[in-house]
Amino acid sequence: MPDVSGGRDRWSAPLPEAPEDGVAALRAALDQVLDPELPISVMELGLVYGVAFEHGTARVDLTFTATACPCMDFIKEDVRDRLAMEPWVEAVEINEVWDPPWTTARISDAGRRKLKALGVGA
Amino acid sequence: MSRQAEESRRAERKLKEKIHGGYILESPEEMTPGYRKAIIVQLTVQADTELMSAPAYWLAARHAPSTNTQVSAHAIIQDELAHANIAYRLLEDMGVSKEKLVYGREPHEFKHPYGFDQPLDNWAELVVANGFFDRAGICLLGDVHRNTSYGPLKRALVKVDMEETFHLRHGEVWMGRLARAGGAATELLQRCVDWMFPMTIEWFGLPDGLKRHSGQLDYRLKGLTNDELRQLWMSSTVPLCEGLGLSVPAHYDEEREEYVLDYPFPCQYDPDAKHWLFEDGEISWNDVFARWKGRGPMNEIYVESVRRSRGTVASWLN
Repeated sequence: MPDVSGGRDRWSAPLPEAPEDGVAALRAALDQVLDPELPISVMELGLVYGVAFEHGTARVDLTFTATACPCMDFIKEDVRDRLAMEPWVEAVEINEVWDPPWTTARISDAGRRKLKALGVGA
Repeated sequence: MSRQAEESRRAERKLKEKIHGGYILESPEEMTPGYRKAIIVQLTVQADTELMSAPAYWLAARHAPSTNTQVSAHAIIQDELAHANIAYRLLEDMGVSKEKLVYGREPHEFKHPYGFDQPLDNWAELVVANGFFDRAGICLLGDVHRNTSYGPLKRALVKVDMEETFHLRHGEVWMGRLARAGGAATELLQRCVDWMFPMTIEWFGLPDGLKRHSGQLDYRLKGLTNDELRQLWMSSTVPLCEGLGLSVPAHYDEEREEYVLDYPFPCQYDPDAKHWLFEDGEISWNDVFARWKGRGPMNEIYVESVRRSRGTVASWLN
């Protein structure tokens, strides 16, 4: 049966304490959040335009592959839940960004390699 | 046996041996008549099922609770139409006319399962269809994807399987929301499960013990038997429902190490009441085939709705 959890069953345990580099830790956490259709992460797909961490608040600039993306709610829910899982994250803010628009050029090399192995051209 | 018949039997046997050695066919020219016949049946069922899910889901999507959720439902419908087109397109490679399949048949001649002859009357029925029917689709097509000896189908199913994953998630997430809502929402959800669980169980067809010989396993067009697929479906559906506090007429039998149904199977169905007649006991598979052949209440409406716009647009242009 395919993974419909957004990668939840593969999410690592939260870090017990605030890491030195909060942004890097948030990026690593987001790299565990899978797209609801393609089994690659939202980082690899290029949906994350920016990550910030200040006074316990994680802020993610997030885009989607299309304005009518049917999976927006699932993606936002997964991003929020994954980051909120960290005890040192007190709040999660998701900032939807539409400029510049997402294109397939934003898929990372690692994402591209995974898709190719699955038989998907990007 | 005539010499010709002997030769064709030998050709069929040779192809089966080659396939079981791992050979993948890449074009219809490589097919024997037996292989061709078996894959045409398989692809027609696949295409018709995807096609008929679209009007069923479309009518239910009118009940979406918000614009965003309706967008999600419409995306699923669009996917299903594309999946149907993929299968019809592969049939065209074999010289079968998509035109005739879609527009030239009587509604009762379509080969989709009886489940897609039923009305989906509300949002809960749509999301349980995603959770149950689309899951059945993933069980069946995931198995075909892993095992098929036809290369073009194997590659085409990559996209289909990934998109079905989103449909399944849509079903699971919404079933969870309705289960947690309590009250009338949860009662409605349970009523959906009550008729749609046995509907999906029946979908997988004859039990292996009664299965007439089919070429689908011989030609490696699929890998799992009907009963194995039914078990696979239950192995994720039963825990999902139990986790949501929904009751299902099946349980895991520790001793037999498999899921067991808690009702007479197969049994009769009253489509108007959306009710399985457990109380009337087991019926024969011939009775089931007769019911399937008679088609369900929405058969003509769904086929007509798929075809309607073409006639309308054509009348504007002429």
